[in-house]
Amino acid sequence: MSAPLLETHESHTVSEHGQTPAPRANAPLLEVRNLTKFFPVRAGVFLRKVGDVHAVDDVSFTLDRGETLGLVGESGCGKSTVGKTILNLLRPTAGQVLFEGRDLGTLSHAEWRAMRRDIQIVFQDPMESLNARHTVGQILEEPFVIHKLGTPEARNVWARDLLERVGLPRSAVSRFPHEFSGGQRQRIGIARAIALRPKLIICDEAVSALDVSVRAQIINLLLELQRDMELALLFIAHDLAVVRHISNEVAVMYLGRIVERAPSRDIYERPSHPYTQALVSAIPLPDPDRDRDRIVLEGDVPSPISPPTGCRFHTRCTYALEVCEAKTPEWEPVSERQQVACHRWRELR
Amino acid sequence: MAEPILRVDNLCCGFHTEDGYIRVVDGVSFECEAGKTLGLVGESGCGKTVSALAVMGLLPQPAGVVEEGRILFRGEDLASTSHETMRVVRGQKIGMIFQEPMTALNPVHRVGKQLFEALRLYGSGRDQDEPAVAGGAALGRRNRRGRRLYESRSEKDELTARAVEQLEQVGIPDPVRRLREYPHQLSGGMRQRVMIAMALAGQPDILIADEPTTALDVTVQAQILDLLRELQQARGMTMIFITHDLGVVAEFCDEVLVMYAGRIAERAPVGQLFKMPRHPYTRGLIESLPRMDTPSRTPLNTIEGVVPKLTEMPAGCRFSNRCAYADERCGREVPVLESCAQPGAVGEPRDPKRSGEAQAAEPRDPKRSGEAEAAEPRDLKRSGEGEAAEPRAVRHEVACHHWQRLAA
Ligand SMILES: Nc1ncnc2c1ncn2[C@@H]1O[C@H](COP(=O)(O)OP(=O)(O)OP(=O)(O)O)[C@@H](O)[C@H]1O
Ligand SMILES: Nc1ncnc2c1ncn2[C@@H]1O[C@H](COP(=O)(O)OP(=O)(O)O)[C@@H](O)[C@H]1O
Ligand code: SF4
Ligand code: SF4
Ligand SMILES: [Mg+2]
Ligand SMILES: [Mg+2]
Repeated sequence: MSAPLLETHESHTVSEHGQTPAPRANAPLLEVRNLTKFFPVRAGVFLRKVGDVHAVDDVSFTLDRGETLGLVGESGCGKSTVGKTILNLLRPTAGQVLFEGRDLGTLSHAEWRAMRRDIQIVFQDPMESLNARHTVGQILEEPFVIHKLGTPEARNVWARDLLERVGLPRSAVSRFPHEFSGGQRQRIGIARAIALRPKLIICDEAVSALDVSVRAQIINLLLELQRDMELALLFIAHDLAVVRHISNEVAVMYLGRIVERAPSRDIYERPSHPYTQALVSAIPLPDPDRDRDRIVLEGDVPSPISPPTGCRFHTRCTYALEVCEAKTPEWEPVSERQQVACHRWRELR
Repeated sequence: MAEPILRVDNLCCGFHTEDGYIRVVDGVSFECEAGKTLGLVGESGCGKTVSALAVMGLLPQPAGVVEEGRILFRGEDLASTSHETMRVVRGQKIGMIFQEPMTALNPVHRVGKQLFEALRLYGSGRDQDEPAVAGGAALGRRNRRGRRLYESRSEKDELTARAVEQLEQVGIPDPVRRLREYPHQLSGGMRQRVMIAMALAGQPDILIADEPTTALDVTVQAQILDLLRELQQARGMTMIFITHDLGVVAEFCDEVLVMYAGRIAERAPVGQLFKMPRHPYTRGLIESLPRMDTPSRTPLNTIEGVVPKLTEMPAGCRFSNRCAYADERCGREVPVLESCAQPGAVGEPRDPKRSGEAQAAEPRDPKRSGEAEAAEPRDLKRSGEGEAAEPRAVRHEVACHHWQRLAA
């Protein structure tokens, strides 16, 4: 239905793309290497630094074109920080983010601006990112204005096309965000994110605040757009059932580190890391006849200001040994596509 | 059925707003069976919290109004009772865990102070018939509003001892230290435990838990659900469990009310609800869930459209603008709850997983029947004696003109 639109401004996209450095052949779309982000903790009258929040600590992964990687974990484990660092909203403490083989940390301002069209983000609450005093039309035209694309008339048509693409009436251009329900606002947020035909969208808890029936609509929309536009998604959420449904592969985070990565099917059917196992077993299933052996973890997630040594999960892991406290577990392949960071995964299988 | 401990009859309530009066709960009726858990599910804004607040007599004033309806606690009508009696009922008869722990817990007061107030307000758990506040002593310290905080040193010691006991009971380690802390110093799970302790301070017979785990991470949710289950078992408490999470409903509730736009759409024992949902909305809701055991990246079933605004509700069935079965009658005539249980069907009195009464109940679903007899230790522990309960008719009701079409 809106294919003509997307082709129309595709031509603009190509012309601007000429300004960015050429992508490296066969590089993954996104590669995150040893990404680390610490936030200083200050205290006292002089706000002296007393420590660091280890928000993200040595995280690496890749994401290919058109694929979805799910990033799941409990609140505060560093998921959003990963997303924001990729978008350069935060400067990494260490490590690199490569997009089509280019190190984002080395781009000039102009290069980054051009690149920024390829990477978009959708947040949990679109109201926070949508300007409440702008009409939906203005909100959707803004990306074209910023990137100097099209005439005012053309932008208006594109904005309407975008609305139709995400399942809203074309007439919505003249209304304001607050006139829409949560699900409809999320559609507007998605419409804006796809305006410039990005290659990657980071969805940070994009469906987490939505009711079940609306959530299903938005998940379907994302899957459909992804197929039609060859979009890659980094899908960040705390709900493993949702993440698993939308992703090709899932990475599980705990206290700033990825502890396991596996194809969606395997994360549920054969989780290898004790934390993943606990997470999977804790999900309430909509099936009253199901008997399950639930692993209930004791206590809370420890503070990221002085995280446990060695394996960060050792303070709550029933299988912990001395080695777990002493040594950070290496990243080991369980199968071709499944990796885990646990000293004991072999014995525990 | 035994005399229900709580019966709500045709509850209608709403709010005065800038646009005039708006009814948000329209003719809600239900009963709670003693010792059981009744789930209240539905999407945001459908009236779950408002219904619960109305039962508690806590609708925000002066905007909130209970237009009509009876709320019978052990046969006594609370809707027409005095404020004084309601104060006693709240806490000592019906306790509530509120949806937002951060708004229900006052951020500027220490946990201990808030717990003391709850203990004093709701009275001593040990001696329920005595008035909660012993009168008189001039020496009592007062809080800022001039209310006596505690009457004497020894009363403070006693309150502290009881508060510590309360916190221990909900699994809070190092309770003495926690009493001196402020709510923001606690993790989400700890805060929810404090909320539970406060709701239980008066040893209520019924606990209304409004989304008690929604804001929590799933591993913490598992801890809190376990805790609630233990406390319920130990006290023989009745629960009304409000949630929008069908997974939690399946694991925690005995019976379920599904609400849509201020009305009850369906009422069923939990097993029936998931096996044979009779209302198109319930069915749509269940089918739109992403499941852990189905192929990923396939389109989910959806309920098209959105809930209409309260001011723009269709005249007949409120689901009619989204329902695939809707016809002209649906747009005109309000469907009322009617029984849709198969004639003669006898049901499980309680979810067997939790009660161990399973063996006496209806033939199991074949997929599970092999395992049904071999109760696991976990079941036994939960069930207590595991005595045979009398089978009884399944109570399954639906408010839909065309539920037979779904059943077919
Ligand atoms: N103080 C109030 N004044 C006016 N309207 C209100 C007030 N409180 C609630 N409402 C309205 O009453 C309706 C029911 O609200 P309620 O809080 O019971 O929903 P809920 O089912 O608990 O939703 P949620 O799942 O979001 O908690 C909503 O339309 C809401 O906007
Ligand atoms: N701007 C910031 N300043 C200080 N600490 C932060 C900041 N942003 C995040 N953090 C901390 O970093 C950790 C990870 O946060 P975040 O990435 O938001 O987690 P998640 O998205 O997984 O819930 C948390 O402990 C959080 O409190
Ligand atoms: S490394 Fe040790 S502590 Fe960590 S998950 Fe494995 S067994 Fe548990
Ligand atoms: S009465 Fe039943 S069939 Fe008719 S609109 Fe309502 S839910 Fe659909
Ligand atoms: Mg986050
Ligand atoms: Mg509510």
